[in-house]
Amino acid sequence: MNFPLNTVAKEDREGYVLVRLSGEVDLSWSAEVRRAVLDALAIGRPVGVDLSAVSYIDSSGIAALVEGFQNARTHSGRFVLVAVSDAVRAVLELARLDRVFVLVASADAVVA
Amino acid sequence: MNLAHALPPPPASVRADGAPARASASEALAFLAELSQALAVSLDLRRTVTESLHRVVDFMQVEAAAFFLLDDRGDADRLDADAVPAARLLECKLCIGPIDLTGTRLAIGHGAAGRAVAGDATHLIATAAEETSIWHAADGFVARSLICAPLRTAAGPIGALEIVNRRDGVPLSALDAELLDAISVPIALAISNARQAQALLEQQRMRREFDLARRLQKSLLPRRRRDAFPIVGLNRPAHEISGDFYDYFELADGRIGFVIGDISGKGLDAALLMVRAASLLRWAGKDGIAPAAWLARANDELCETTQDGRFVCAVVGYCDRAARRVRFAGAGFPPVLLHRAGVFADYPSEGPPLGILRGVAFGEHDVELDGGTLYAFSDGATDVRDGSGKPIGSAGVRALIARHATGSAEARLRKLFSELRHLRLVDDTTVLTIEAPRADAPEVLLERRLRAAPEELREIRAALRGTLDALGLEAGLRDRLVLAVDEACTNIIRHAYGASCSGDIGLRVLRDGALLSFELTDAAPCVDPSRIKPQPLGDCRSGGLGVALIDQVVDEWRIEPMREGRGNRLILRKRIETIDETNEP
Repeated sequence: MNFPLNTVAKEDREGYVLVRLSGEVDLSWSAEVRRAVLDALAIGRPVGVDLSAVSYIDSSGIAALVEGFQNARTHSGRFVLVAVSDAVRAVLELARLDRVFVLVASADAVVA
Repeated sequence: MNLAHALPPPPASVRADGAPARASASEALAFLAELSQALAVSLDLRRTVTESLHRVVDFMQVEAAAFFLLDDRGDADRLDADAVPAARLLECKLCIGPIDLTGTRLAIGHGAAGRAVAGDATHLIATAAEETSIWHAADGFVARSLICAPLRTAAGPIGALEIVNRRDGVPLSALDAELLDAISVPIALAISNARQAQALLEQQRMRREFDLARRLQKSLLPRRRRDAFPIVGLNRPAHEISGDFYDYFELADGRIGFVIGDISGKGLDAALLMVRAASLLRWAGKDGIAPAAWLARANDELCETTQDGRFVCAVVGYCDRAARRVRFAGAGFPPVLLHRAGVFADYPSEGPPLGILRGVAFGEHDVELDGGTLYAFSDGATDVRDGSGKPIGSAGVRALIARHATGSAEARLRKLFSELRHLRLVDDTTVLTIEAPRADAPEVLLERRLRAAPEELREIRAALRGTLDALGLEAGLRDRLVLAVDEACTNIIRHAYGASCSGDIGLRVLRDGALLSFELTDAAPCVDPSRIKPQPLGDCRSGGLGVALIDQVVDEWRIEPMREGRGNRLILRKRIETIDETNEP
């Protein structure tokens, strides 16, 4: 079966870093996602994770985002989820984490 | 048109001779604006049009006015490209003045109104004699001059507005014609809008009624039996409502009576006849009389009351509880098929459809099932179109039955219908099976073996989605169940096998009625179930979330260590709403 590729891309934007994920985030590459999120935070600027092209996420993917969130909090940094797809939102709601994360509609809002 | 330009300038509102002057351009615009507004906010079109016509008479200072509409054989005709517009008539719906023309009819092209509609243009008849045909009365009223403007809509003219004779005796002018032309626009728009709103309401009402009819019909179909019962039926209407039906009931002597029927034609009247025929056939078989007599009784009754050339095709009969023998009779119904050990036998109807001819006799069949299955199906099944648009016919139905010959009768019927639906259903389709009841084994919907590796998960999720979609599960629930199974696999990979050992995961999805089970087996060291604990939801820690998600999604789950100290079986269960839209078992 042919699946669309899973990709993670980091973009340096004016005043923040945008991590773009696409595909299905599961155990097969959530470690890579975690690394990308933590690397972006290490730069010391606000970080947005664009989830608009993520069609599936499991608990290991959510865990990577939770870790990013905690890491940012420790360092008083800003960490937001951008353009969360319906599939991701459903899992966040199921895990009762939709109120924990800061969700924004577009990358413009990463820097509040 | 440019109204300001077309109309003469102000000021004088009263001429030197005391006669009222023509309206000024600004007065005309104000009048038009006011009229448009009144028409736009009106809910009562008849009242508004009446008021508007009075206003027009007052404003244009004329002696008489009439409002014509094209007769309303309309809606059906408008859908018909071959409709001949010339055959339609204009009828005067409203008239003000010394003569009442209400009810007067004009052919298109006749009279000023007829010509205005035919030419889709405003007509001015400046001098009288030309046009006296409808505007004359015994007391000497005649039309000296008149103007008629069509009521234009995007779909062509729907009527006309006509004014006659200025009160000051001056002939109506081209300027008056332009003004009436402008006045006709908001009136036409209001009528057109009101008609559309009416049509919409009508559509909604029809939909509600169809929905009611569909639910009534569904309520007539027997409830699915959970116990070991020899008969299973399935009905799939091609549209909202069905002309097909089936029924079964138990007699005091232990026999089970059954009926399957098909009403000729489609639509609401076929559906209504279905309701009658279904209750009639049930009633006629309640005494346990022979199937041939049963049909004859129902036939005589239907002949009394069924008109319009409609008729009913049916098979009725009885079987014993163990379905060793089936005795039945058919009336114009497709042949009943016996499928036994891979071989088919045909049992055609030995009588004409019901409701055509009184007093006809019907023949019977008496069949020993001997482990076989009897299939009765309406012609909707044979009329299903294949890829090239041809009906699959009896051969196609046989091929489908042969292809889905294993599993419970319900599971087979469901697969058969699922395949029929992938082809093109053109008619209501109903299938009834009769066979010795089997012990109910859960149906296996999916069986996979995968390497316990993260790279395998994606394909498993896709396979699961496909399986759950085939059940018709709502997408949100489907995604949650996929997530739960994925989390279970992830836990097996990470925790049961861990980094140190590898192996396979067996996945089976089973359905037992409304209960879905997901069975995951592994060959990892036995897990201590008491050590698996979910993390509280909403807790912002990055571990232990998987089990919490599984807890959220499924009704129950348990883990059983296998015997030899190696291997675990994890079972997730979820009760689903019966996917019962059209009586699917």
